[in-house]
Amino acid sequence: MAKISKEEILNIARMSHLDIHEDEIGPLKRQLESVLSYAERVSEIAAVGEDPSNKNINMYREDVVVKSDSQRILEQAPDCQEDYFVVPSILDKK
Amino acid sequence: MNSLAFATIKELQKKLETKEISREELLDYFLQRCATVDKKIESLLEVYGKDEILKDVAHQGSLAGIPGVIKNNISLDGQKLTCSSKILENFTATYDATACARLKKEGALLIGAANMDEFAMGSSTETSAYKKTKNPWNLECVPGGSSGGSGAAVAAGLAPWALGSDTGGSVRQPAAFCGVVGIKPTYGLVSRYGLVAYASSLDQIGVFSRTVYDNALVLSAIAGHDLKDSSSLFVEKKDYTLRLNGELQSDLRIGIIDNALNADGMDPEISAAIETAVGVLEKQGAKVKRVSLPTMDYAAAAYFILSRAEAASNLSRFDGVRYGMRNKDAKTLSQMYFKTRHDGLGAEVKSRIMVGNYVLSAGHAGDFYENAKAVQRAIRAEFLESFKDVDLLVMPTHPAPAFKFGAYDVDKLQMDLQDYFTCPVNLAGIPAISLPCGFTKNKMPIGFQLIGPHFSESLLYKTAFAYEQQTQWHTMHPENL
Repeated sequence: MAKISKEEILNIARMSHLDIHEDEIGPLKRQLESVLSYAERVSEIAAVGEDPSNKNINMYREDVVVKSDSQRILEQAPDCQEDYFVVPSILDKK
Repeated sequence: MNSLAFATIKELQKKLETKEISREELLDYFLQRCATVDKKIESLLEVYGKDEILKDVAHQGSLAGIPGVIKNNISLDGQKLTCSSKILENFTATYDATACARLKKEGALLIGAANMDEFAMGSSTETSAYKKTKNPWNLECVPGGSSGGSGAAVAAGLAPWALGSDTGGSVRQPAAFCGVVGIKPTYGLVSRYGLVAYASSLDQIGVFSRTVYDNALVLSAIAGHDLKDSSSLFVEKKDYTLRLNGELQSDLRIGIIDNALNADGMDPEISAAIETAVGVLEKQGAKVKRVSLPTMDYAAAAYFILSRAEAASNLSRFDGVRYGMRNKDAKTLSQMYFKTRHDGLGAEVKSRIMVGNYVLSAGHAGDFYENAKAVQRAIRAEFLESFKDVDLLVMPTHPAPAFKFGAYDVDKLQMDLQDYFTCPVNLAGIPAISLPCGFTKNKMPIGFQLIGPHFSESLLYKTAFAYEQQTQWHTMHPENL
């Protein structure tokens, strides 16, 4: 049975770029433990060798520049200026 | 007029050809039906205006004048693309997905956006941030998921076909719950350009319809190579309706996956309905044998790991910078990411992202991710081995009929295990079709899957059509709609 500590939950949340409120920790912990406990059974199966026919295939093509209306895309941004996306400052202004 | 609601594409085309009804009259009829009937079902997030629907649509083609609905994780230029998530509440697609572009080229009318589980994560459409879609057969039950809006809309006669996406069963399970036909094609057969990614190595666009012929017709329109999707394979364009003559391929060999039919938690009513369905195929000349695919019992575990891992990576793009909502209170960039994702993503999505980052993190990747990839290889190998002895496999689509809203609120794992019989097919990259094969004593639909090797869609349809011609399930529709 996978056991996950509160610290681990907070750490995974940090890796996931997610704020977690105190009251959300318990339910998330229970849900992760339940899924991971079930998923652990994958270790019971011995690894089967690589078989190239077993893989998804990537198709390649020439990279061709096509015109598109960047303005339409920029319009969707929560904040933009000319051709740039605007974000809050990276460092905290103390 | 209700005869139009549940008419097949073939029947509607005849009415259009003989000018019994015009394209606009037909469109008006379905728009009117969506406006009234969908108040009860809530399968659609949006019904588009007539002018928008008719814009840039061909007048001729294999689907000329035939309305359909599109799961709201597939882009339609100029229309909202929310994936039923709050984080994309105000996002508008700026181009057509290849599948939609091809449908318009064949004259299809894309009339609305179907509700879904948020970012296709769920098996009941309950994780949608916007509405709870009802099962047209019993409004107290879920339609399945994640493409629950698509399945419910087709079952309720709001359109004769719909597009969905299937990562672990998200077309086939709602198709079975709603008593309609649903196909998950071979990985790489339908372009995913314009489909919002959940788990890219498994995602595939699929088709809902009320009959096998209609399903084959829509797949024929969207299948085929596309330079814009690097996973799209060089497959010749095909008319999948050509071999549908009501007969089975001679000497067709079918294998029933015994360990699936006898799995823990299988509803005996469903097992019995599937045995009856196999009997129908046997009577038509199929040679039936029982097979065992023991590795399949590890599929759900492997699927949980791989799909969450890929989701964690794919959903990192929703960060409030380029599109979607942004938390305005954040003082720094980092705070903005964290708060935006906290506020914009639902509980199920957050939990899956965290499971994904856990199984990928140093110290756990060996136990989880790498072992799951090994299980995936073993499952593929097992399927391919079994196709040396049989042409197609039969397996349940779902262990139990559509359940009531909130049934799995406490035990989410049991909800996730809805994928038990469907996700092995995605892991192997092979195609499967879910067909209606009866009803429970509570009058809820039952479905079963026909599964074939890579690119066997033609044989799947031929077999499915022959089965359908011997049964009446496709002629039954929910009452009082």
